[in-house]
Amino acid sequence: MNYETVIGIEIHCELKTKTKMFSGAPVSFGAVANSCVNEIDLGHPGTMPCVNKEAVRLAIMAATALHCEIDPLVKFDRKNYYYSDLPKGFQITQQFHPIGSGGYVEIETDEGKKQIRLNRIHMEEDTAKQFHNEEGTLIDFNRAGTPLVEIVSEADMRSGKEAAAYVEKLRSILNYLGVSDVKMEEGSMRCDVNISLREAGSTVFGVKTEIKNLNSIANVSKAVDYEVERQKEILEQGGTIIQETRRFDEAQKATVSMRKKEGNVDYKYFPEPNIPPIRLASDWIADIQAHLPELPDQRKERYQSEYGLNDYDAGVLVNNRELAEFYDEVCAHTSEYKLAANWTIVELTAALNKLNVKPENNPCNPLHLAEMLQMIKEGTISSKQAKIVFEEIMQGKDPKQVVAEKGMKQMSDGNELLKLVNEVLDNNPKSIEDFKNGKDRAVGFLVGQVMKASKGTANPAMTNQLIKQELAKR
Amino acid sequence: MDITNMMKQDITQRVYDAIEKAKQLQPQLNAVVTFVDVEEQLKQLEGIPSDAPLYGIPVVLKDNVNTKGVLTTASSRILSNYIPVYDAAICEKLKAAGAIIIAKASMDELGMGGTNLSAYTGWVHNPYDTERISGGSSGGSAVLCAADVSPLTIGTDTGDSIRKPAAYNGVIGVKPTYGRISRYGIIPYASSLDHVGYFTTTIQDAAKALHVLAGRDDRDMTSSYEPVPDYEALLDQDIKGKRIAIIDNVQEAIQDKAIVESFNDLTQKLEQRGAQIEHVRLNDDLLSVLLPTYFIIANAETTANHSNLDGIRYGVREDGDSVEEVMINSRTKGFSANIRKRFVIGSYSLFVENQDKLFRKAQKVRRLIVNEVKAVLDQYDIILTTAAPTIAPHPQDSVDEALSDTYLIAENHMIMGNFTGYPCMTMPCGFVEGMPIGIHMMAKPFAEQTLFNIGATIEAETGLKGITAEVKA
Amino acid sequence: MEQMNKAYFQKLARQLMFDVSDEEAEQLQEEFEILNKQIALLEKIDTEHTEPMIYPFEAETTFLREDQITQTISREDALKNAKAVMAGHVHVPKVVK
Repeated sequence: MNYETVIGIEIHCELKTKTKMFSGAPVSFGAVANSCVNEIDLGHPGTMPCVNKEAVRLAIMAATALHCEIDPLVKFDRKNYYYSDLPKGFQITQQFHPIGSGGYVEIETDEGKKQIRLNRIHMEEDTAKQFHNEEGTLIDFNRAGTPLVEIVSEADMRSGKEAAAYVEKLRSILNYLGVSDVKMEEGSMRCDVNISLREAGSTVFGVKTEIKNLNSIANVSKAVDYEVERQKEILEQGGTIIQETRRFDEAQKATVSMRKKEGNVDYKYFPEPNIPPIRLASDWIADIQAHLPELPDQRKERYQSEYGLNDYDAGVLVNNRELAEFYDEVCAHTSEYKLAANWTIVELTAALNKLNVKPENNPCNPLHLAEMLQMIKEGTISSKQAKIVFEEIMQGKDPKQVVAEKGMKQMSDGNELLKLVNEVLDNNPKSIEDFKNGKDRAVGFLVGQVMKASKGTANPAMTNQLIKQELAKR
Repeated sequence: MDITNMMKQDITQRVYDAIEKAKQLQPQLNAVVTFVDVEEQLKQLEGIPSDAPLYGIPVVLKDNVNTKGVLTTASSRILSNYIPVYDAAICEKLKAAGAIIIAKASMDELGMGGTNLSAYTGWVHNPYDTERISGGSSGGSAVLCAADVSPLTIGTDTGDSIRKPAAYNGVIGVKPTYGRISRYGIIPYASSLDHVGYFTTTIQDAAKALHVLAGRDDRDMTSSYEPVPDYEALLDQDIKGKRIAIIDNVQEAIQDKAIVESFNDLTQKLEQRGAQIEHVRLNDDLLSVLLPTYFIIANAETTANHSNLDGIRYGVREDGDSVEEVMINSRTKGFSANIRKRFVIGSYSLFVENQDKLFRKAQKVRRLIVNEVKAVLDQYDIILTTAAPTIAPHPQDSVDEALSDTYLIAENHMIMGNFTGYPCMTMPCGFVEGMPIGIHMMAKPFAEQTLFNIGATIEAETGLKGITAEVKA
Repeated sequence: MEQMNKAYFQKLARQLMFDVSDEEAEQLQEEFEILNKQIALLEKIDTEHTEPMIYPFEAETTFLREDQITQTISREDALKNAKAVMAGHVHVPKVVK
């Protein structure tokens, strides 16, 4: 039988604010346990929530970038359940009136562009962090109350690849917006994937499983692929899928069951009586929307139209925001856009890998790279020399200084070079013979000999031209 | 003794006298949960201008008002060891006004009750007859004001929890407009019905106290920006032309002839002073569902509000083999049966399949009731009623907020003040069988001044200004 | 709808993380009988064109808190009411879920 895979994804992102969603205690990653809390985060009796303006602003940015419709009347609800990481015994969320509804994320698939529709984006608060050991569970409330947005997609994805592309794209958008750290491995972006299979052509949904706590985009696609195969196998053997929560086990490269879902849990949602409806000023919303940072798609478009990059190069740069930002800075100092793109994509990436440095800690001064590219363009140094210069730039050195120190000036003096060319021709009568017999590659050999004799300093273009000129005379 | 007279006494003396008196009365009244050390507070007075409105005045807080470093139990077992790490917003206001907090007063468990019989430290006795109840849930605060321990005691009111005990104990009970006083730091009952208020023995003190306690607090998003007038300076006893509505359905339901007579006597006097008294009726169908509407909304909100009480981060933790067991054991032992039953009912009304029929239905009916009251107050300055249909009962005769088959409008009409959020006040208007009885007023939103002005007139007519009880040993 | 027997109320109580005794469950049964009568009264009230009233005053606010650190309590205060503390964390027996 032919099965169609149906995937929907829920993503939680911590918003980059100074303070919590509903309290004035600081948000900080990796602080000493229980040092970034106040009575509100601990759910002490008598505390009341107070909505963080910055969290709302960041949520509006995200909603706008995701093409959602924004509800200017902000309301919150209580989601009631008991768990030791939930201090109040309820989470304040936006069940009935999410700040953004609708919207979409556009991804690239093998069949071209595809829009993944969004159901909603809403604000809520994070829970405490728990550590389990043999003696029990330890609770750190620092994370409790951290502002989150939850982004819920429609069940529009059909493969692990699409799911991964969706998460990747969403992460890139949120990263460009600067609203979240979007670090899956640190949990500032968390991804729950719902998967079900159905007979191809059917419109009813099959029984779904939910995979939680995927800590990388690679794992999203691996987990989905595994889960699809697992479900297919069960269905093909005439079995039924059990509705359950699973997690991806990296060691086994498999999804394993965490807990069964016994019917739908009733969270007894009701409007939060301590937060009156908040009317957002329309000019404030408009102002936020007007000052949205450049988004990945827009940047890619710009790289192609303004810098003349091809689709692939533009895509590679945009996929890494730090790299793209570096590239933009380089381009501010040179008009060698394509050359700059090549050097950023190939040489810089390789150098960073070699130094084991993340792009956000890139030591390369963009002005220095731009100057070096200019030297290449003007023939002051050869490409080969440039590689040596670049290594020094990565150590923080000024390219002009490197060239001077190493005496790297390219031999571009016509007379000097002419002398060298004739010396080489004199020593290679066989090659002259070959050339006369129509073997063009002899020129290449001769250029190589000149380069060798000049210890790589000869200007290749000039050398080529002079060799042809002198050959004609012989 | 009212604040003005107390101001004439030596500060340290009056504070320690108040504590001494409360301690002496404790065996008879059982109104105090915790006595607060005042030494440090008295020292801190140095930093406060001596003309501050409550400079060196001993005040009492209901035990659901969080006090940093001082035991705050809300009269519940589960919080019987809870030491708050922060002060309620009103504590800051009181301290800035120079008040000295001398005690935390007993209440019905978590504010849920109208008798004060459910307090973890036992029931509170009425100072006029210690065989009778104080009423609740702010029973301890009402009693300590009525017994002349403190001229200002703080209470909270979710369903007449200030006004009923005020009537039973012969003191003034003020429940201002919803949002007038910050609720930040008050252990809640039901958030959309909870109000902070207080007890005094004179209208002047009531006016003074509201000026201290009221005002916008950013920590309580429901608190109001409405400016706070100097109520005391604006007191005006001229009630000529004031339009007063009497709710006949409520008055007709009162069976105690002496109480009816006293009420009628008072309305006549007000008429003589130029007030326009008129009789109105509210929709009987709506009045008949007052209690279930209240019961459903209050229980739904309270079950969520108290989900934080699990023994994990604070409160009494019972042992268990898993964290779930710890929570279950702590909550089972931590709450009395009554509270747990309310939580079950509240939770039931919030189930997805029940919300339309129960919780949301009650919220809709609430709106209809509020519209009904609003329509009256669009025409009148205040609604005047008898506060309670009986004098303070004996424990065995008391009726609580629990649902009942019988129609108890005379007993429950004051919860309309919680549905609407409109300002209300009860004050003594006489005595029956040696026990105080009271009248109840409700005014338009933020028209507390109207309550105080008419109250001042009533005070002049009844001659009960500053009345307190002499507790028999 | 499930039968409103003792077991039902004991199940509801468990969802709220506490137990009710047999006697308490019986009382709940009785109270629900009254409640159901009261609900019948509520149902008679026509609320077809009425919205639920969530807040006493429904004026919208425009207030939002500025993102500035205002209150933090000390670690000592955060933990001092907890019955069991281990390595600066609130300590509880193992979470079963």
